[in-house]
Order: sequence, then structure tokens, then C-alpha cells
Amino acid sequence: MSSTLEKPQIIAHIQKSLNYTVFDSRWIPCSAKFVCMGNFARGTGVIQIYEIQQGELQLVKEIEKAKPIKCGTFGATSLQQRHLATGDFDGSLNVWNLEMPECPVYSVKAHKEIINSIDGVGGLGIGDGAPEIVTGSRDGTVKVWDSRQKDTPVVNMEPMEGETKRDCWTVAFGHAFNDQDRCVCAGYDNGDIKLFDLRNMSLRWETNIRNGVCSVEFDRKDINMNKLVATSLEGKFHVFDMRTQHPTNGFASVSEKAHKSTVWQVRHLPQNRDVFMTAGGAGNLHLWKYEYPAQRTKKDADNVDMGVAGSVNLLQNVTLSTQPISSLDWSPDKQGLCVCSSFDQSVRVLIVTKLNTV
Amino acid sequence: MPLIVRDHTWTQNQNTVYISVPLKGVKTANVHVICTDEYLKVSFPPFLFEIFLFGPINEEKSEARIGNGVAVFTLQKRTDELWEQLFTNIDKDKQKHIREQAILKVQEKEAEKSKAKATRIQQEKKYALETMMKLENEERDRIQKMKDEECAKATAQLDFWRETQRKTAEENENQQKLQRTGTNNNQLVYQKTERANATPAVTLLHNTGNTTSGQISRKQKPKDLPAPRSAGCIKISFTPRVFPTALRESRVPEEEEWLKKQAEARRAVDTDLAELSDLKEEERNPDWLKEKGDKLFMAGNYLAAVNAYNLAIKLNRKIPALFSNRAACHLKLRNLHKAIEDSSQALELLTPAVAANAPARLKAHVRRGTAFCELELYVEGLQDYQAALDIDPHNVALQADTDKIREIIQGTT
Repeated sequence: MSSTLEKPQIIAHIQKSLNYTVFDSRWIPCSAKFVCMGNFARGTGVIQIYEIQQGELQLVKEIEKAKPIKCGTFGATSLQQRHLATGDFDGSLNVWNLEMPECPVYSVKAHKEIINSIDGVGGLGIGDGAPEIVTGSRDGTVKVWDSRQKDTPVVNMEPMEGETKRDCWTVAFGHAFNDQDRCVCAGYDNGDIKLFDLRNMSLRWETNIRNGVCSVEFDRKDINMNKLVATSLEGKFHVFDMRTQHPTNGFASVSEKAHKSTVWQVRHLPQNRDVFMTAGGAGNLHLWKYEYPAQRTKKDADNVDMGVAGSVNLLQNVTLSTQPISSLDWSPDKQGLCVCSSFDQSVRVLIVTKLNTV
Repeated sequence: MPLIVRDHTWTQNQNTVYISVPLKGVKTANVHVICTDEYLKVSFPPFLFEIFLFGPINEEKSEARIGNGVAVFTLQKRTDELWEQLFTNIDKDKQKHIREQAILKVQEKEAEKSKAKATRIQQEKKYALETMMKLENEERDRIQKMKDEECAKATAQLDFWRETQRKTAEENENQQKLQRTGTNNNQLVYQKTERANATPAVTLLHNTGNTTSGQISRKQKPKDLPAPRSAGCIKISFTPRVFPTALRESRVPEEEEWLKKQAEARRAVDTDLAELSDLKEEERNPDWLKEKGDKLFMAGNYLAAVNAYNLAIKLNRKIPALFSNRAACHLKLRNLHKAIEDSSQALELLTPAVAANAPARLKAHVRRGTAFCELELYVEGLQDYQAALDIDPHNVALQADTDKIREIIQGTT
């Protein structure tokens, strides 16, 4: 009994029922507040800011916008400004100053269809280089934006002429360890994962994991790319070791089947890059730890380096709701604090204990 | 017939009767006693001892001690009186009646005893179950308490952290204010000292001291950001599959069926026709014949092509391409009905409709449509052209033809 209580526990600290469908929730950096984004039943978008006070959530601000909002990130703003970049159902990318939300700081009609996923890099005092935002949309394109350049993206990854387009479901930045290098990883609904190198403006690696990719994330954005987790439909996720790329086999990976349903999100713990949490379609959360193998590289038959994938251990799991948990965000300031939102129109603040002994 | 024992002895006092019956060598295990309030029977085969008691006794309080070759009965009398004799003389019927009653009573008693035992066992089981449940509940409560303690601890930590955040935020604000006033002072003093022209260095140092303390947690200079990236475009292509659909969209069952049909068609060569005996080996191969037919078609020799296809079809009726190509030949020869038949046959063989056989179906539809139009059956022709357009919406020539047919129909009606 004692060994089970020494494992990290996932405790649902606060739960709040909302009156709208919430798609994404993010912590505001350096504060005990978070943002929820979604859409009202009347078809308009909403951003709500909550603060945790004495075990309860207080609504600090509610902002209503014309179009439903699908995703948002604070990744590309400075710590002082803390502007929220959102993608909405109409394909528009907006960057809002939450103190004065009437008019966006930067706005562009990024895509022709809904923006499914957004990520930011270069802000929050993490990493070097220009702050950039990447958006992935149902129209099959992935675009990188810089808020100093109006109307046109700085990079555009689009299908070739005549190619049938597949929806892009998720995007993530990584490999931003100096101000020149950046990588964008995009996951598509036919199972394609593509890694783009923005320094060389080329496709660096691609693979297909057969089931639609719901979420990709690098374990850290601001280091030489170390690990990438990609989750997909039918309950599978793959962890790729990104340190060694083999010319034909690509990156080594280990895959795990969990959740018995779509794995909607993966998020790495900001304080420990080998611990990550996956959110499933049955309303459950699994906490995993990645163990590195004894040797991370080995030589293949032609004496070329290839990577060796490690193993993944389940630390804890908990079922919070009956509906899928669509978004998950760890607090960068307090280890173990996270907010998650699910399709039962509720947002939950969770505390995961004992992560320092993991 | 059991042997009746009569050499028993008995004594009595006011409230008890003592009867002693010799067991005559029979083992104690074989002794069986039936005793009621007015009757006592001891049977130890082959002996039997029974008496009808003079007065009523209290059977529950009486006891029997069997051992050492003798059975001693201590019977408690119901009424305290001395009996003149041990037994009463009663007639045979009454005896029988009493015997029967005795047996009944004994049976009842046994039944009661077993019932009592059963209820006792059940109660004990229930008790055991309840104690188990209680133990488990306690265990569960203990675990829950530990969990709650963890939760409370974490909540306390969270509140503490939030307080510290708030405090640091306030401190930052205060320092900001201080910094602002500090810079103001700095300017004023600088001007003053310039005018006064007295020890500017010392006062300046003093003020800069203030401002630096206000700057501990704030970066004064904004970071120099690199310029926005020069625009780039990366073209991508998506993973091709045998059937280019994602797993979740795949029409795998139909596609499997189509592949199986193809495989069967390859194998279904019907070789036991008499006319084939005088054919060369290569002429028996439907593929070779198809190729021959194609070459003849391209050369313009349509009759020969038809012959080649006929032979190939005789060998293998399942290849749709043969029918489709023969339809094309008939079209050129203006055997329009035959063309229609053949393209219909081809289309039948091209079910189920999957992406793999789309071009073949397209050709078949176009050929049949053309044949219909030549026969002036424009409506059927339009249907076929429409079906072809469904398969390939971007074909400009096809669109033009469809529009033409539509105009002709509208023109004649």
C-alpha cells in the first residue's frame, strides 16, 4: 500500500463547469491565472480569464469575439507583455493584449479554413531568436508568422500542385537552441508527421504512423531537439529519439498503446523533460516517464549511426470525466500544477504530487 | 424379536428416580435411548428394555449415563411424590399409542435441534462477513484520509505560492515606482549640480545607487531581436498508399474485394474447349492475345482486333479490359449495339467501384455513351457521360462533350 502512495498522485483540485464549449486552456506565465478559450452556443468566440483564490476559481475577465476560438498560445510574447495569440474557426490569427482586448495587436487572415493548432517560440524569455507563431489548419498548410511582418507568413508549408490536401491537426516548434535554428513539426490526419527545418527551408524528415496524428510536442523547444512525442487515434502514441537521424530509417521510436481511445494531447512537464502527461478520449489522464536506454546510439550494418529508443513507464493514471480531455497545460511556475479542459464544458485544475522524486 | 430385559434395578427419592439397566456386554456405541415424559426405551440389540413410567418425569432435566456395562438413568420427577412402583400396567393399545408418540416426539426434537444448528451457523457466517466488511471499510477510510491529507497539503502549498507571487508582483510595482521617482530625482539633481557646479560626481553616484537598486528584477534595455526571417516556402507531398486514404477513411473492404476479383480473373482461364487444341501455346494466353488485339487496334485493323479479343474472352471471361477494348473496336466498326453490350459487360466486371479501377470505368462509360449517342439515344448517352464526369470532374473534353449532348437533347425536345 505504501508503494502505491509513493507514486505521484493526480488530484483534481478545482473543477468548474462552464456554459460554453471550451477548446483550449493555457496558464498566463508568472501568475496564478489561466485563460480558457472556446465558443458559446450562439456561435461567438469567448476568452475567459480565471484566477485561483482559496480553492476556487474567480472569473477575472470575459471577452467575447465574433468567431469561435480554437487554440491559443503565449509562446511568442515577452514576459512583460504576455499577449495571447489565438487561432479561430475562420482561419484568422489574432494576437491580443488581454488588458485591452477590443482591438488585436496583430491580426491576419492566416488560412482559408479553421486553424486547428497553434504554437509559439522565442518569447517568455526562453530561447533565442525572433518570436514566431506557427499555425496548422484544415486546408493542409502550415504557416509561420512573425508579428513584425504584416499579412504574409515568413514560411509557408503547403501541398504541391495537384496534391490532395490532408488536414493538418497539430504543429509544434522545437530545436530553437540558437537564434538561427528552428524546426517545426506538423502532424496530419492521415498519419503523416513532417519535420521542417526553417534554417535550410526544407523538409528534414517525414514518416507515417498510419493513424491520424492528434498532437505532437518536443520535450523542450529551446534545446537541440531531444525527444518528440506524437499521439494519434486509436490510443497509440510514439516517442521518437531525435538526437540521431539515420539517412534511411529516420529517428528511432518506441510506441505505446494506452487509453483505449484517441489520445488527444501530450504535454511535457516544464520542470522535467522526461515526464509527460497524455489526455485521452475517455476522459482519462496518464502520467508517463521516459527512460533512456543504456546506449542512445548504435551502429547499423553499414556502420552508420542510428538511434536507440528507450522505454516508457506509466507512473499514474486517473479518470476525470466521461468526455475527452481536449487540452492540457502545465504551469511553468509551480511544478505539478496543471489545468485541463474537456468537452463536458468544464475546466479542472489538477495537482500532481511527488514529481520531484520521480 | 429382541430380548426383553427385566433385570433392571431402581431406587427413588422424593424428586428423582434412578434406574440402572445392565448392558449385558453390548458396546456403549450400540445403545440407543428414547425417553419421553412417561416412557423410557433403551434398545441395545439384541436386547430391549422399555417401561411405562408410573408418573410423569421432566425429560429435559433427566440424564443418562451409559458406560461400564451399565446404563444409569437419573430421571427428575415432575411431581414430588414417591412412586409405589416403577411402571404402570396399561393395556396394549395405550402402550402402542405411547410408543408412537414417543417416536414422534423424538423426531420433532431432532428436527428442532438441526434447525437451531442451521440458524446458529448462519448467524455466525453473517457475523464473520460483517467483521470483514468493517475491516475493509476501515482500510479504505485510512487510505482516503491519507489522500485527503496529501490534497490539503498541496492546496496549502498552492495558496502559499500564490501569496508569494502576489507579494513579488507588488514588490516589483513598488520598485518600478521607486525607479521612476529615482530617475526624476536623478535628472533634477544633475541639472542642479550643473548649475551649481559643485561636486556633481558624489550626488550623481548617490542617485545612481538608488536607481540600480530599483532595477534588480527588471531588464532596462529591451533585447535586440533578430530581423524577421526572409520568406520561404516549402512544398510537401503526402504519403502515397496503395489506396490514398487515411486508415480511418479507408474503404478497405471494397478495395480488398476488387483485388481479390482481379486475382481470380487472372486465374480463371478456361482451357478445355475443343477448338483450342490447334492453337499455339502463346495464343492460349489471354494477356498475349490482349496485347495482340491492342496492336491491331492501333494499326487500324479492327476486325482482326475483334477476333483476337474474342479468343481471349473465350479463354477468360473475367477480364474487364478485354470487353472494354472490344467495345472500342465495335465502336470503330460502327457495330453500336455490340459496343454497348461489351461496355456494359466491362462495367459489370468493374464492380466494386474503387479508386483503382476508376480510369477503366471512365473509359467504359465514355465508350458506351458514345455508342448511345451514335444511335441517337441521347438521354442514355448523357447518363453515361455524366457518370464519367463523376469519376473525373476535371476532364475538360468530357465536360465539353456532356454539354454538347445536353444542348442536343434540349434542342430536339
